Amino acid sequence: MTDLAMHLTTDEIELWAQGLLPATRAMHLADCSLCRVEADRERKVILELVQLPQFSPRAGFADRVMAQVKVPTPSGDWTP
Amino acid sequence: MAWAKQGHDAAFRELVRRYERPVFSLLYRMVRDRALAEDLAQETFIKVLNGIKSYRPEFKFSSWIFKIANNAAIDHLRRKSIDTLSLDGAPSAETPDQMRATQLQVGDRAESPLDEVENRELGTAIERAIARLRPEYRSCILLRHVEGYSYEEIATTLELPLGTVKTYIHRARNELRGYLEGRRE
Repeated sequence: MTDLAMHLTTDEIELWAQGLLPATRAMHLADCSLCRVEADRERKVILELVQLPQFSPRAGFADRVMAQVKVPTPSGDWTP
Repeated sequence: MAWAKQGHDAAFRELVRRYERPVFSLLYRMVRDRALAEDLAQETFIKVLNGIKSYRPEFKFSSWIFKIANNAAIDHLRRKSIDTLSLDGAPSAETPDQMRATQLQVGDRAESPLDEVENRELGTAIERAIARLRPEYRSCILLRHVEGYSYEEIATTLELPLGTVKTYIHRARNELRGYLEGRRE
């Protein structure tokens, strides 16, 4: 079976969804509706995942952490 | 990092500033409770900063902190699943009457402002689908596609074999597709 005729693997579909699949393998999608449908479905999920927002903790988070961290001094002692 | 290892307060604060959002986001999506996620994030940073001298620079700092955060979330979820079983009554209860007498009563509770925030933030279809994944799948898929980690980095961070990470991620994406396509149909 040639490179062009071989179905894409799951890893290759992920690479394609990220725009990282080499053109020689990506060309397979033009001729294979099976892989194209699979790749499109995978891309939709990946797209939803990469667009997820980041959340922030409440203001003052760093202060609350630092209040409980023992900061070592250059002499090797610890300060609360 | 070198400054933080020498114990500079400003360097510690910079590490918190740089990682608080990704660490909090991971934990929030793992436990789906803002207050709890913040407690776990705080616990994670305290552990990391108090143990900074044991940090090995051959590993990415972010991998170290995500590993500790993920362990905190998984530990919590395991404890919670044990607690959930106890809703059926005390372990010592043997008869139906004893079970009823020791059952926790979970009544309807009014939605607090924090619940509203959580519903808004985690109420989208993709967030609800992520919540339905097994915790192990959830952390892998979040590190892969939200944090942009490679499979190898996830394997190192979560101390899992590379093949397991690949399997978890592929299964997680399949399940997510199923949940999302079920919604669309």
